[in-house]
Amino acid sequence: MIKKLFSLLTLFTVSNAVFAQSTCNTAQVITAGSYIIDTINGTGVPTPVCASGGDGATAGKWYKYTPTANYTVTVTTDLAVNPDIDNRVHIYTGNCGLLLCITGDDDSGTGYLCVVTFQVIAGTEYKIAFDNKWSSNGFTFELQETPPIIINPNALTFTSQNIPTIAGTYKIAVADMNSDLLDDIVSVSSENVQIHYQLATGGFNQVNIATTPATFLPSWSMAIADYNKDGYGDLLYGGGSGVTFMRSANNGTEFTQASTSQYVFSQRSNFIDLNNDGNLDAFVCHDVAPNVYYLNDGLGNLQFYQGGMGIHPNGGNYGSIWVDYNNDGFSDLFIAKCRGGNTTAKINELHRNNGDGTFTDVSISSNMADPIQTWSAAWNDFDNDGFLDAVVGASSFTDGNHKFMHNNGDGTFSDITAGSGWDVFPNLSIEYVSYDFNNDGWTDVFTNGKIMINNGNNTFSPVTYSINVGGVGDLNNDGFLDIQNGNTIYFSNANLNNWTKLQLKGIESNSNGIGARVELYGAWGKQIRDVQSGIGFKHMGTMNVHFGIGSAEVIDSILVRWPSGRVDFICNPAINTPMILTEGSVQSPVASFTASATNLCEGTIVNFTDESTICPSAWTWSISPSNGWEFANSSSENSQNPEISFNEPGSYTVQLVASNTNDQSANLMNETIIVTATPTASISYSGSPFLTSLTTDQTVNQIGTIGGIYSSSTGLSIDANTGEITPSTSTAGTYTVTYTIAAEGGCEEIATSCSVTIVLSTIGITEFENGQVKIFPNPAESNLNIVFDASFKPTSIDLVSMLGSSVKRIYSNMNSIDISELQAGAYFIILTKEDGTKLTTRFVKK
Amino acid sequence: MNLRRCSSRRNIMMQIFPLALFFLFTIQSCQKDKVFVPISTPPIGNSGVSVDLTQVPYAKLSDYGFFTSPMKNQVPVDGVLPYELASSLFTDYALKKRFVWMPQGNKATYSGDHEILEFPIGSVLIKTFYYNNVQPNNETKILETRIMILKSTGWIFAEYVWNDEQTEAYLDMEGSYKNISWQQGGVTKSTNYRIPSETECMTCHKDNNQPIPIGTKPQNMNFDYAYSDGTSNQLSKWIQAGFLENNLPSSIVSSINYMDESYPLRLRLRSYLDVNCAHCHRENSHCSYRPLRLAFSETINSQNMGICIEPDEQISSQAQLIEIIVPGNVQKSMMHFRLNSIAENNRMPLLGRTIVHEEGVQLLKDFINSISTCD
Repeated sequence: MIKKLFSLLTLFTVSNAVFAQSTCNTAQVITAGSYIIDTINGTGVPTPVCASGGDGATAGKWYKYTPTANYTVTVTTDLAVNPDIDNRVHIYTGNCGLLLCITGDDDSGTGYLCVVTFQVIAGTEYKIAFDNKWSSNGFTFELQETPPIIINPNALTFTSQNIPTIAGTYKIAVADMNSDLLDDIVSVSSENVQIHYQLATGGFNQVNIATTPATFLPSWSMAIADYNKDGYGDLLYGGGSGVTFMRSANNGTEFTQASTSQYVFSQRSNFIDLNNDGNLDAFVCHDVAPNVYYLNDGLGNLQFYQGGMGIHPNGGNYGSIWVDYNNDGFSDLFIAKCRGGNTTAKINELHRNNGDGTFTDVSISSNMADPIQTWSAAWNDFDNDGFLDAVVGASSFTDGNHKFMHNNGDGTFSDITAGSGWDVFPNLSIEYVSYDFNNDGWTDVFTNGKIMINNGNNTFSPVTYSINVGGVGDLNNDGFLDIQNGNTIYFSNANLNNWTKLQLKGIESNSNGIGARVELYGAWGKQIRDVQSGIGFKHMGTMNVHFGIGSAEVIDSILVRWPSGRVDFICNPAINTPMILTEGSVQSPVASFTASATNLCEGTIVNFTDESTICPSAWTWSISPSNGWEFANSSSENSQNPEISFNEPGSYTVQLVASNTNDQSANLMNETIIVTATPTASISYSGSPFLTSLTTDQTVNQIGTIGGIYSSSTGLSIDANTGEITPSTSTAGTYTVTYTIAAEGGCEEIATSCSVTIVLSTIGITEFENGQVKIFPNPAESNLNIVFDASFKPTSIDLVSMLGSSVKRIYSNMNSIDISELQAGAYFIILTKEDGTKLTTRFVKK
Repeated sequence: MNLRRCSSRRNIMMQIFPLALFFLFTIQSCQKDKVFVPISTPPIGNSGVSVDLTQVPYAKLSDYGFFTSPMKNQVPVDGVLPYELASSLFTDYALKKRFVWMPQGNKATYSGDHEILEFPIGSVLIKTFYYNNVQPNNETKILETRIMILKSTGWIFAEYVWNDEQTEAYLDMEGSYKNISWQQGGVTKSTNYRIPSETECMTCHKDNNQPIPIGTKPQNMNFDYAYSDGTSNQLSKWIQAGFLENNLPSSIVSSINYMDESYPLRLRLRSYLDVNCAHCHRENSHCSYRPLRLAFSETINSQNMGICIEPDEQISSQAQLIEIIVPGNVQKSMMHFRLNSIAENNRMPLLGRTIVHEEGVQLLKDFINSISTCD
């Protein structure tokens, strides 16, 4: 089409006409194949320029291509038919009003021909435009489709950026210093704290805060946390001979130094609330003596203590990390240890926090007492089974290799190094930290020059990066963790995975929620993190809690177990959205339900449907009064959607309490159920058939539910409400009177009926005994009707022939006697009353 | 004096020439013949020294009676013998005086050129740290005297801090700082001098976490010392004074004074590394898990010295430091970076210095520049 044919068409087209390929809007649809352009003369100049060479083109040729499948597509003019051509191509997506460069090329082919290869997604429209930057001469191009390159959705790459303004002797800390959820960069000199505050708009604002000369500098480690609870980060300098604290003052614009006099050969330092009083204390590993800690008096003053947690007289303490390995809500202490020679000072230690300010050394019973020469261990729940595991990273292979220890969940660990990738990991480092760098939902381990990518099956694969361990945090707020090392920030190039991150603000608990356990629920099950200040060996990294969730697009809930014991809950948080969680901002479920009926007939089963919001996970139903109902179909008071059979009439109150997993927060809803008795009724009329000559209305004998409606077919004068029949205005005949109780209160409509006969009084009626008794018709052929006054009750009725023989005797006061079997003739009918007297008259059988 | 050059480094001779009431004890090291001069005085007595092993460490340095009065002159009483090491640990240019005392009738014994002498119970090693030309008064100032005493349970440390009046030194095992400025070669230097705590002493002075001396090895003592009564080879003097069993081998492989430019660079550097580094970079030491082995006896092997050896530990901002010693390339050599650093976490040694030992660094640079292969 665009080929020779188009060339021909142009011959017949005036030069300034708008024709196909001239502009983006008139781009010609193409598929894979070869196309000829005779000259570049379209009025649409390709913009923006996606290839090198810059602006200056004055004409273009436009095509559009929508692949039917994912492909690797090559657009090329590097063809034998195109000698000595210099052309240029631009590839776009987007609409013509806002084109976005995918790629472009000028001279990648032979000579000055262009070749460009890119990945396409099925169904997406791509614009392909050539311009005349270099030449308007025509040429042939091809669009080739080959199988797509499989893109690793978990790809992790970094782009480095130099930040020359980062200055200071110790550029080893990344943390949010002003509680705005954005990680900042902190660097320290003897008399200066420099903070690069991350801006919400991107980039940093550099602030220098002069300090008094620090007695000790963070030569061995630095920890940051808000231990004076003013919302601003405070600093711990772990020096070779002692510890200096720089406490924030005046809304984070100043620091007040508090140095301690005791000799401490600091190694890893941490902030942690050791006595669970809501104030952060500090812990510092001592290289050559028992570990030290500093208890916070709640006023921001720290008192020195030594001993209790890692008390080897010769120290050997290098990498302390606080982890709740036994999920009891209290942060425990693991100490990565190192010491040359034949000494117990090199045996790693695990100290269980008893929750009462005391610790128990469980190194041996937990199977963590290992002599490996290590300066730090990376902890996380590497297999997402709900318990924190450890990678004990070697600093030297002298006393053993790296170890990957799986938390069995019973207070012990198993060595699962073999085959995990750690058994063959050749690198040594003093620093091992764990984060989910590629946001695939599995926490990785970062050490100098390598990231061990967690494959999700308790194996790791090393990927080499020319990055040593530094401060880790999200330095561009894109949800992917970046690394600061000196003046360089290695920004993670976001892949397609989703994530969440949250910052904790403790109220009753310590300010940063350090020691809190965060649980993230979703399609993956559960992921957990412990909030920490000070992991690895030297650096300080983000205290924000960061999770990758892979391709999942929904987070069911986040549970935060605070050190105070409080449990907060976030339901269905938006993905890829940072959030701040303040302690106590519990999201309770809001109870709500519907009932399949609220007015119902006794014996009905009502289906209750839970419609509670904000992630309930437990339900309790209660009904008052306590009797007259029962759960049906195996449901129970804790069913989400129970079924209840209401068996007795009455008014019931049904209550639902909906709560989430911690059973702490709950909310209720009440609903009233009205249960109605099932209606019953029967009717009859005494004295039917009624003569039209009757002057009184005939009342109905009604038993059961009142309030129904009487009806009959036309001809019977009947009162719909009372059922009274007026014979005198009725037409002779036999009617069915129906008494109908309309559906009400959930009970269905019911109807009952009886037969009523109206007889014209003018037809063969024989009255006797002063009109107390009537028989008709007379003569009668098949039935002889007898009507008695209400007061008249015969005990028997005899039909007697004229000869005096009884032909029929009936012992009741029937209203109609079948005489069809009698022979024609005259008969006596004798009624015997209760007192024995008899009444007699005659009738004729026809 | 009988000075001779070695014919070969490994060809070491010791000659003993017994003479009437004297004996001439010549110990030749591989570098220089070591000769001591006969001493005419009888073995030194123990007058005035008090070392009650049930009571030490005493509260005051004077309690021991090691020195004649005034104590600040550091003149030992009879029975307390001064000694020196061929190469000395750099501690921010502090000057040192060393003394040894042993209970009368007890001797140390030789157990190897490179092994610490086996001292008898009750032995005391004394080391005083001082500066000359201390500002502003340009005077000598003693800062501390460190003592190691061998009890039956092992060595103990005793740290004595001198008062400003220089009249007494008091036991203080907690460690402290002293700001000090002094003139040295026309330059005013200063440091916040660290007086170590017991814990810090132990960091270097240990073998499998048991306290030990460092310097008193035959290799470090096999040279002449100018005693008050004449110059003598120290080992000969110790034997003569009854401090050392007379069972030394005929030759001792010895370190030398690293400042003595008459020796080869490698030998100077090996001597330097031994005394400055080997207490941690040897078996059973603080950092024995690192591949370096810097004891004088071990740096015979170039790999032990770190030549062409990758460091276990990278320094983040110093990616160019690819080996501990890169032949011919100072800037890529980790050892140079660490010796030239004053950052607590990067510098080597970790303890004992806060400023750069420029002469030591120069020695290392000269050595690195002098080699071109890994051998």
